[in-house]
Amino acid sequence: VISELLVVAFLGGILALDRLAGVGMMLSQPLVGACFAGALLNPGPAWELWALRIPLGVGALLQLLLTDSALPGVRRHHESSSAGVVGAAVALFAMQRLHAVLSVPTDGTLWVVVGTVAGLLAAWAAGPFMARIRRHNRSDLPRMDDAAAAGDVGAFEALYWWGAVRVLLHGAAWAAAATAALSGLALLVLPPLMNHVSGGVIGGAFAGLLGAALTAAAFAHVRGRAGVLRWAALGVLAAVAAKFWIEGAGR
Amino acid sequence: MIGPETGSGPPVGDPGVPGPAAPPPPRLRSVDLARISTRAVYIQALFTSERMQGPGFAFAILPAIRRLFGPGKRTSALKRHMGYFNTHPVLAGIVLGAVARLEERRARGEDVSEERIDAAKRALASPLAALGDSLFWVTLRPLSGLLGVLSVGLIPAPDSLGPDWRVLLCPLVVLLTYNALALPLRVWGVGRGHARAGQPSELLRGLHLLEWRMALERVGAFAYGALAASVLLLVWESIGRVVGGGAGHLLLLVAGAVVSAAVLSRRPGRLPEAALLAAGLTALLALLL
Repeated sequence: VISELLVVAFLGGILALDRLAGVGMMLSQPLVGACFAGALLNPGPAWELWALRIPLGVGALLQLLLTDSALPGVRRHHESSSAGVVGAAVALFAMQRLHAVLSVPTDGTLWVVVGTVAGLLAAWAAGPFMARIRRHNRSDLPRMDDAAAAGDVGAFEALYWWGAVRVLLHGAAWAAAATAALSGLALLVLPPLMNHVSGGVIGGAFAGLLGAALTAAAFAHVRGRAGVLRWAALGVLAAVAAKFWIEGAGR
Repeated sequence: MIGPETGSGPPVGDPGVPGPAAPPPPRLRSVDLARISTRAVYIQALFTSERMQGPGFAFAILPAIRRLFGPGKRTSALKRHMGYFNTHPVLAGIVLGAVARLEERRARGEDVSEERIDAAKRALASPLAALGDSLFWVTLRPLSGLLGVLSVGLIPAPDSLGPDWRVLLCPLVVLLTYNALALPLRVWGVGRGHARAGQPSELLRGLHLLEWRMALERVGAFAYGALAASVLLLVWESIGRVVGGGAGHLLLLVAGAVVSAAVLSRRPGRLPEAALLAAGLTALLALLL
């Protein structure tokens, strides 16, 4: 468990640096974080393809659900950089420990739902985390001003580098803490809950998440953009044509 | 110009009397611009709502200040750049390069006032922020994620036991899509800004940011249409096959979409809450039905 949490902390720190310090290489996108977490936390061949497909599913859903076309500066309600890592880690963690106990046949759908919900909760709860980093930054400003006024370039640089390190440490601590808390919650809640829940309910939650994902993506890519509806319609036609073409070729 | 110091400064003292060699006029080298580029990567590490990227700008331009000014003048140069500054982080290098050029001219004794440097900084930062935000944050970032999700379906899954390479290829699609446009601007931005500091309007026009945005918006809409249709076609088969009742789950998907749209229309940005509410309600509906 410790080694798993260390991997999660490492990824969480890197992703926070990418998202909050201005690096902006898109490492902090939920799909990227979930896939990296899946690759690094792979529980081994005993889990066959599930070990990688579940992080892929969690990452793809979270990517659509948390795609916000608003500017980062005006976002106050959530922080999505560690959502993919936390979601994939919780899903794999819960799968390894609960799969033998639960008898609902959902072909991995349950763990995708669990991971996605965990990622959403992590993104929602991480909003104050970003505010906390900005509070720290604000409290550093007078010291940086003093260093600049005194011509102490070394102290100025040291304070700035510490700001970057602080983002890294906050991201690491948050990702590990959120994974531990949500994994614990899953271990606590799922066994009794699954006595009352059928595969159909899990499929219902999955369908609801898919519907919400398509809506969030529509808000990000189509709504409020002039002259793009016909391009969306073209995309629909292309997908339908491709499906029939592939089915025809298969016969 | 970027290059090694040439030592072609004006002579000092009586031209007839050989004296100590005059210090060469300060000049930025390629390595200084490269240092500014690498520091600009962390331009938001001390982001605050009061000064935005101001401290990051001062931190990034320090290699130029060190090269151009002696210890006595560094203080005022550093303080000059500690104030409010905000632009898109990918394009910040262009402003840094242009300001570094003006500081270089000032250090060489040309008539470049502090006010002129400040005005040039603002004149470049504001349009680059507007164009960069709408291109990178609003259009390219969502598009790169969407293409990554599409690639989950398009890249074939392995038939037999073995590594599912999609777990590496799909993130790669996200990273390549975004960074194919962003990385060159980050790498060459400082040099470009430094070389064309005197022609800000040409500098802005030459980036073609508006054209990129319009083209990428269309690609995003097309990809969204393809994804939505593929999901709706697949959900009938996959959800139905896995847990039974494909038609019912298609209805639940629509219910989730409607709930989420209602939340997001009233409270934009509340994405996790909308998704959690949609999942909870559809699970409850499935339980009841």
